[in-house]
Amino acid sequence: MLAALAQGLVFGILVGALYGLAAVGLSLVFGVTKFLNVAHGELLMFGGYASFWLFTLLDVDPFASIPLCILFLLLIGLLLYKVLFSRMVKLPTEDKIRNTLLVGFGVGLILQNVALRLWTADDRGITPDYAGVAFTVLGVRFPIVRVASLVIAFVFLFALQLFLRRTYTGKAIRATVEDWEAATLMGINVHRVYLLAFVMGAALAGVAGTLVAVGYSVEPAMGMHWTLKGLIVMVMGGVGSITGTLVGGLILGVAESATAILISGNYRQVVGLVIFILVLLVRPQGLLGTKEG
Amino acid sequence: MTVKKIISIALLVVGVVALAFVPTVVESDSIINLLILIFIYTMLASSWNILGGYTGQINLGHAAFFGLGTLATRLLYTQGFPLFPSLLAGGVVAVAFAMFIGIPAFRLRLRGDYFTIGTLALAQILYVTVGNVLPKITYLPIEDIQNYQLDFRYYIILALALFTIGVAYVLVKSRPGLGMMAVKEDEDAAESLGVNAFRHKLLALAFSAFLGGLAGGAYAYYQTSYYFNYTFTPLWSLDPVTMAFVGGQGTIIGPVIGAVFFVVLKEWLVLNVGEYHLIVFGTLFILVVLFLPGGLVEVWEKIREALSRRPKLKESSTPSE
Amino acid sequence: MLKLEEIDAYYGDLQALWGISMQVNEGELVALVGPNGAGKTTTLRVITGLLKPASGSIHFHDHHLGKEPAHKIVELGISQVPEGGRIFTGMSVLENLELGAFLPKARVNKDESLKWVYSIFPRLEERMEQRAGTLSGGERQMLAIGRALMSKPKLLLLDEPSFGLAPILVEHIFEMITEINKQGVTVLLVEQNIRAALELADRAYVIENGRVVGQGVHEDLLSFESVRSAYLG
Repeated sequence: MLAALAQGLVFGILVGALYGLAAVGLSLVFGVTKFLNVAHGELLMFGGYASFWLFTLLDVDPFASIPLCILFLLLIGLLLYKVLFSRMVKLPTEDKIRNTLLVGFGVGLILQNVALRLWTADDRGITPDYAGVAFTVLGVRFPIVRVASLVIAFVFLFALQLFLRRTYTGKAIRATVEDWEAATLMGINVHRVYLLAFVMGAALAGVAGTLVAVGYSVEPAMGMHWTLKGLIVMVMGGVGSITGTLVGGLILGVAESATAILISGNYRQVVGLVIFILVLLVRPQGLLGTKEG
Repeated sequence: MTVKKIISIALLVVGVVALAFVPTVVESDSIINLLILIFIYTMLASSWNILGGYTGQINLGHAAFFGLGTLATRLLYTQGFPLFPSLLAGGVVAVAFAMFIGIPAFRLRLRGDYFTIGTLALAQILYVTVGNVLPKITYLPIEDIQNYQLDFRYYIILALALFTIGVAYVLVKSRPGLGMMAVKEDEDAAESLGVNAFRHKLLALAFSAFLGGLAGGAYAYYQTSYYFNYTFTPLWSLDPVTMAFVGGQGTIIGPVIGAVFFVVLKEWLVLNVGEYHLIVFGTLFILVVLFLPGGLVEVWEKIREALSRRPKLKESSTPSE
Repeated sequence: MLKLEEIDAYYGDLQALWGISMQVNEGELVALVGPNGAGKTTTLRVITGLLKPASGSIHFHDHHLGKEPAHKIVELGISQVPEGGRIFTGMSVLENLELGAFLPKARVNKDESLKWVYSIFPRLEERMEQRAGTLSGGERQMLAIGRALMSKPKLLLLDEPSFGLAPILVEHIFEMITEINKQGVTVLLVEQNIRAALELADRAYVIENGRVVGQGVHEDLLSFESVRSAYLG
């Protein structure tokens, strides 16, 4: 039992880092633009499929494909923002919340079905030569691919943190999150900040997608699944706190593993969702964390 | 009574009578099945519309109500309970669940999107749980399958669909209905006018859930076999939203139009191009949200307006000065 | 320098300003006074582009404002300290000031501007690394003003800088404002604290119910109800 728990803990942490990465993109977009992009999971899925194609068609190593994925998702994000989301920025709050939710929902629906057309409903995974390799420490298996993914996730999160903390643009983003009108008075072009946050969110989703594809699998219906994961972690970690989001992701990953071992593998998904509902009820304003990441 | 009203009622009567005669006139089973599907979708979209279109609370987990309806009705019916109590039970179970989440959710005045993603999560919880607890296929009782009378079921489901639309209509025209629409327009303004937003949202939720559960019951009565958790899949949450919007949310006829359009489009596309209906519908949905919030109903209104203007122009273009 | 002519402005369908005309000349310290809800903040919002006027014109030097997006206004040399300061509480004092110099032109001179602001508000230098949210009311206001100065504006708009501050602090802030004006920054001061504003200003406009009802110097304005009650009340 102890061995199973230890293994579960490790797997939970490995997947939890990806949950954190997935959530951070969502959190960035929500914090800045106040839209809840429910198609975030579908963007993640596309990142995964993009890497899949690069691997199967062009033999590109999945980890090496990350920059290309980022580019691809930046473009998709740009397209989505310019064509769709930018039109809703000026709406009054209630309408903005509702319409962006609906449009995101529509986008997710379309992306999911496009994926279905292009890749069928089968699970796809990226299996490079080193896929099965793992090192074992004290009887616990550490698959290299997942460990590498964790490292990469951390790197991106750290880079994002640095960007937000140290660069002028990053500070402009943080200012916009806090008070967009005051930011405007500083000469910050809030629309550009919105666009930047949106495409960065998409790019981060893409990276997470690649890591999911190589360590696990991708299939068209995973979008909603990952959007929910992102939402859960965002709610737990607080918008605006990168460390909080990472910790939230790790906690979710471990909680899921624990549930799978102690109760049943089938209820793994339910744990997160229940936590989510509870947090929503207990802290309905909890999505607007004030701490700076 | 205005001319418009008389025409509407006449059309309605003609329509219902026509539908009633279909089984006797039409040979093909596939058309009957198609119509039944339209009826069920109409119920689904109409029920969603009460909470989403009229009261402005976007529920992306309507499958929870639909699914619970199918579950309750199916379980009771296959155990030998008579049809109508089983159907009723479907609605009731859905409402009970709805109240369980609706009361805390609305009481806390959750922001619109928190309610929506909450419904997403809840529907997902039900989907996974039902899939775990009942991971099997449910079959109609043998006698039912052997004596399956499509026509009879057609009439029952047609009646249920008309009932749903009727209830929606009455609710919307009533005073509480007015309150719901006020809440959608501007919750704070409504409150200041004495409209208790919480109660109205809860009422809308109750009706939405009940009728959604009823739609589920209809499905459970109609479909010979399916996996228990199939009716909880997100697709049953997606469809009513897109249908209601494309057809015209916030109207009675909108969801009906949306349902018809959806099913017909799907059939046409599948036969000619392939399974693209969701992509097409998704695109239409986005276009409606961004540019034409009234959906097809609005399109129709605009056409009518344009048409009714022309004769007047002709009159006044004759110089009278 | 700044000229408003017959400005009408609406919040939705509600008219808030009727034919506002006023002028601020280079080097002046002009006050805009009036009771609560008179339209003072609205006027400022129109100047900084957060609210578009329905009719009338605004000129800054030779630039026609009114159509300019809000974030361009700073580039022209107008800086506003909004009501309540609206500093970024999650960021440090230094970061707030740095953001004041966000514009590329201002960024280049950041260190110089910082020195200048610290010379006026030495307290800010002491609290450089502190999170802005932990500052006291008076310090926050100082930070807000300092932040606005970082872009070396030609015209500084101040919306109720004394609001919510203890009288001693109010005096202090007003001393600073006078100092800033002496150092060459033109100031338009919006204030509910009519008494203090009139003592500071070269000239003042009185606004009531969305209309300019008078202008002039100290004594001229005593005929107005709102001004008088400020002195007698």
